[in-house]
Amino acid sequence: MTTNTFVAGSGWLYRFDPRAKLLLMVLLCIWFFLPVTLLGLILVVLLIILVGTLNTGRKASFKTFMSILPMLCIMVLFTPFNVRDGKAILQVGSFVVITEEGLLQATRLAWRFIGITYVCTLLFATTVMNEVILSLRWYRLPYKGALVITLAFTYIPFIAESFSQISDSHRLREFDEKQRKKLFDRVKDLLPTLTSVLVAALRSIPNLAMSLELRGFGLEGKRTNYHTLSAYRHSFTHFFLSCMIIVVLYYIARVR
Amino acid sequence: MQENKNALKVAVVAVLTAVVVVFTLVVRIPTAKGYLNLCDVAIVFIAFTFGPWSAFIAAALGTALADLISGYAQWAPISFVVHGLEGFLVALIVKQRADVLVSWPRKICAGLVCVATVSLGYFALSVLFISTVSVAAAEIPGNIIQSGVGFVLGMAVSVAVKRAYPPVRSLAW
Repeated sequence: MTTNTFVAGSGWLYRFDPRAKLLLMVLLCIWFFLPVTLLGLILVVLLIILVGTLNTGRKASFKTFMSILPMLCIMVLFTPFNVRDGKAILQVGSFVVITEEGLLQATRLAWRFIGITYVCTLLFATTVMNEVILSLRWYRLPYKGALVITLAFTYIPFIAESFSQISDSHRLREFDEKQRKKLFDRVKDLLPTLTSVLVAALRSIPNLAMSLELRGFGLEGKRTNYHTLSAYRHSFTHFFLSCMIIVVLYYIARVR
Repeated sequence: MQENKNALKVAVVAVLTAVVVVFTLVVRIPTAKGYLNLCDVAIVFIAFTFGPWSAFIAAALGTALADLISGYAQWAPISFVVHGLEGFLVALIVKQRADVLVSWPRKICAGLVCVATVSLGYFALSVLFISTVSVAAAEIPGNIIQSGVGFVLGMAVSVAVKRAYPPVRSLAW
């Protein structure tokens, strides 16, 4: 099981300070809800997709789009029929099927959704998870919180592997004719597997707690700590750029 | 002694968070409209076994991390709030002294709260931040099925785990 969303690359986005990148992601997500023109919104989203494609490659960019395609289809198909205001575009007798307002709303929602998706995905595609956690630490995430996330990432592959082994061994005990089961039976058959996986995971807790104690967890003088992100230079410039990008984009695309 | 307790708390929450991530990502049962995952099974199990705070943190963090890992980062904040609340409320309803069994009316109430929190929570937050009323409403039946099945399985798993591994009671805080 892969717990890493990082796409290897060397574009300028990879060299951007992760703390500033995190700030930029939040600000851009807020920007999408500001009163901006539809054309401005579309152009900004296209710009984000272009930046993403240049940095992470066409494959990663296409994969992101494919992951939201079903949701986009539902959005585009459903939204126009639920808005009754505005000028009618398609009318059957006296019943208004699609209005101009409905189409505009669907278009805005779809582009906003694409924008938010690409912005969020880009952060995690161009920043290793370790640096995301260090950035969160810089934004005052408590030590315990950071430790929980780090430890969880360490245990995910271990529990996933246990899951796969245990479900394989349970499957080996089944008869061939039972292989074509109904959904209810398949769900019911999951119970022993889930129980075994949980017991295997829970058994690791006392050992983990003991190892944390031995490492002096909770003591005043910590024996372990997190690195800092001092290797990134020009942090101030990156923070300044992040804020300026938002201000400039809003100034250009705002509704006048 | 306090340090020991803190180390145990961190260990419990970290492993439970990993369990929620794995249950969300590993098992996906295909349905006509998409797929069902088992995150609610893990959340309900944690709520029944470990109490409100463990359930809140593990459910919120676990589902948000699962969204980040699987490339649905835009859903992470919504999952964080909805599933965190789900775990917290279910655990609050079923919380009682260790030697007393949870009564059926309480279990039913917890089940209803679980289903309502997930379906209405996703609906409300999706309408606010991502889509429209009609699109968000289309997701409600799937969320009801997933959380309902998850609640029943989670309850069953909780009983089975307590039988199979009795020391689990000493890990709760």
